Amino acid sequence: MEGNLEISLDKLPVKRLDAIEENGLERYPPESSYDEKRVSLIRRIDFAWAVEEDEEKERKKKQKKNSSKDASATWQWQSMVENLQLAHQELSVIIDLINTLEANDAVTVAGMTRPKPLPNELMSDLAVSAATKLQCYRHLGKYFKQSANALEQQIAREARFYGALIRLQQNWKVKRQRVAGPGPASSNEGFSIDLFDNSLYSSTPMSRPSSLSSIRVEHDSAGMLSINLPPNSCHSLHFGFLGVHSADIPKEFNKIRTHGSVGQHTRNTEKESMSDDEYVKETHLLLRDVHQSIFNDQVFDMLNCEAFNQSVGVNVTGMRENYLQLSIGQGTSLFISLVPSSEGDNQAVDTANTQNVDSAIVPLDSFDEVKFGERKHDTPTMKKKWGFPHRISCEIYLQQIVHEHAFLKAKDKPNLSGTPVSGQSGKDGPGLLGHFCLSLAHRIFSSRVLIELENVVCRVPYLHLMTHPTWHSRKSSWTIFMKVPQSILHAESQSPRSDFQNIKDVIKSQFHTKVVLSDDRINVEGEGAPNVVGLFKRSSEDICSVNKYDCDLADLPVILLQQVASQVIRWLHEEALMVGIKTNRYFLSLAFDLEQGESVSLVAHVDPEDIQGGISWWLVMEDGFAEDWKLQMEIYDGTPEYRKFLGHLNLDVLYSTMMDLVTLSDGGGNH
Amino acid sequence: MDSPTQNTSLQRLQNVEKRIIRVLELAGGVMDELANPTGPRKEFINNHCREFMKMIKDIQVTLRDEIKSACEYRPFEKCDYSSRISNEICCKKLEYVLSQLDAMKQTIDEYQATI
Repeated sequence: MEGNLEISLDKLPVKRLDAIEENGLERYPPESSYDEKRVSLIRRIDFAWAVEEDEEKERKKKQKKNSSKDASATWQWQSMVENLQLAHQELSVIIDLINTLEANDAVTVAGMTRPKPLPNELMSDLAVSAATKLQCYRHLGKYFKQSANALEQQIAREARFYGALIRLQQNWKVKRQRVAGPGPASSNEGFSIDLFDNSLYSSTPMSRPSSLSSIRVEHDSAGMLSINLPPNSCHSLHFGFLGVHSADIPKEFNKIRTHGSVGQHTRNTEKESMSDDEYVKETHLLLRDVHQSIFNDQVFDMLNCEAFNQSVGVNVTGMRENYLQLSIGQGTSLFISLVPSSEGDNQAVDTANTQNVDSAIVPLDSFDEVKFGERKHDTPTMKKKWGFPHRISCEIYLQQIVHEHAFLKAKDKPNLSGTPVSGQSGKDGPGLLGHFCLSLAHRIFSSRVLIELENVVCRVPYLHLMTHPTWHSRKSSWTIFMKVPQSILHAESQSPRSDFQNIKDVIKSQFHTKVVLSDDRINVEGEGAPNVVGLFKRSSEDICSVNKYDCDLADLPVILLQQVASQVIRWLHEEALMVGIKTNRYFLSLAFDLEQGESVSLVAHVDPEDIQGGISWWLVMEDGFAEDWKLQMEIYDGTPEYRKFLGHLNLDVLYSTMMDLVTLSDGGGNH
Repeated sequence: MDSPTQNTSLQRLQNVEKRIIRVLELAGGVMDELANPTGPRKEFINNHCREFMKMIKDIQVTLRDEIKSACEYRPFEKCDYSSRISNEICCKKLEYVLSQLDAMKQTIDEYQATI
């Protein structure tokens, strides 16, 4: 290399003031980093000599080229290529320098600091992190609000469900089972309603819970609780007499029932329009129906068990699924069946109709119609069909005695209605079913007895009939009163002999005959027949004699009329004694002694078939001289008796007749 | 606590649920306020946080009371299903008697109409 070695001197590394401002602020030149110092040092390496040499060479080349190629156009990229070549050379020098420095091992790169971030970079970093945090906060805020909304909705849904469930729990047993199955946990919490009553029914046949006893509580689409039952799963007890259809009397029943047992379809379509209150009430009614249906099933089971026991009064004539047919005597058959009770009782009545053999339709009011029977006595064919107790009342009675029996077993309460315990069967007495059949038979028979009694009573004007409640399902009791009319009593009280009456026993003005029916035995008890002892003694003391005897239905009217007639005779006898006349009293006649051995007697004639009245009166005279007789008589067959038919007299006329006879005998006698 | 207005424990527990919802809403509101680009307002956040803490305290007190007062669970001590059945039977009797009385009244009306 030629030329002089040029030496450059660095400035002293002293901070040199760059400028100073008016307020004293000093400005220093900006400090350069290590790298910049290196770069500046490298820059200071003077490559001018190399560049000059290169340039000379190039000039020479150019001259050569130019001399050689003057005519060729200069390439437009020529300068760029030369610049790049120069840069390339410089870079290779630098790289060699750096490699030499590195290979020296005395100098290593100590490190490189990150360039200090400019303030705007700092701020932008801060801004980005702050923005991300704000974004997170916003997310969080939205999340909280969303979960608050979701929780509110869920609470509202559950409040409906649990509110309804609590209202149901006030009346029914609600049980819970944790269900660990798959599926959404919220929709299946395992609630169920238990309708089985384990405090009753300790006997084995009825301790078997039916499939309906436990009902699952589910959620419906709106989150409200819903109970789904298979249709026609509820049974109701249906009772009827064979050959007799019930009229459409219980139409109100049907209305109530269809309102109660809400069908599936009505519930689903009307659910949205019903308020929660109404919905809970509908569910209540549904549960009531199911509960009753379970009880009906148990009743029927129990009846079947009783039917197998062959107890007194039970006479099974037919058995099918859910159907039991019994005969209770007197040609009457009844059936008890379980029918599905959904969609009202109309279907139940129809199925019962199809099971009946007889299709004759007879209106089935029982006792009310019979009381109108005064006009209907002459139709004996009606007698058979009247008098059936109402179908519904039999159903209710059956349910009641079964329930009481179950209750009795559980609580050991005293037996109020006289129903026997089911345990006694066979020889001891009728079981429940037997008792029921006997009660029905008794009812039917007692209505026939009542018809007879009414026949008797309505023909005789001075008789009154009264029915007594007996509070026993197999006993009935009536009383027939014979009442002395008030006019006679008043007349007596005004007579001068009334003082005696006050001292003595008052003459009875009312005679009664009691008719008691137990199962199918009629017992008549009445006063007024002459006492045998009193007949012998002929004393005026009245020993109140009471007759008691059994009879059957055919003889009942005659016996009653006889009883009444003897009561009338007795009354007349007492009246005569009151007046002071001695009369003889026989079974159905009262004899007055006239002078000369004559006797006149008032004789009662009893005829139950007599339409105008049961008791008619005859005047019979014995042993008298016909020519002294002043009354007209009819002579029969030359008998020494003379009879006069007086007809059906009421008590006033009888009394006056007797008084006439009294005066007759009085006038003739010495009294 | 609005204990004089809440009669049953069920209502109190429902109130607790409503308070939980309110607490969540407050938290959401605080977060939103913190995310406010112009910076959170201090009184706003203070109020919310105060209400939050108060509600938490109310919830805690109510729940503690309810848990203490919850009685032992005795399932189905006295089952009234049998008296329910006898009531149903009585209802049926009543319905029947009513129908009979209605029939009697109808008869009377018909009789009086024909007079």
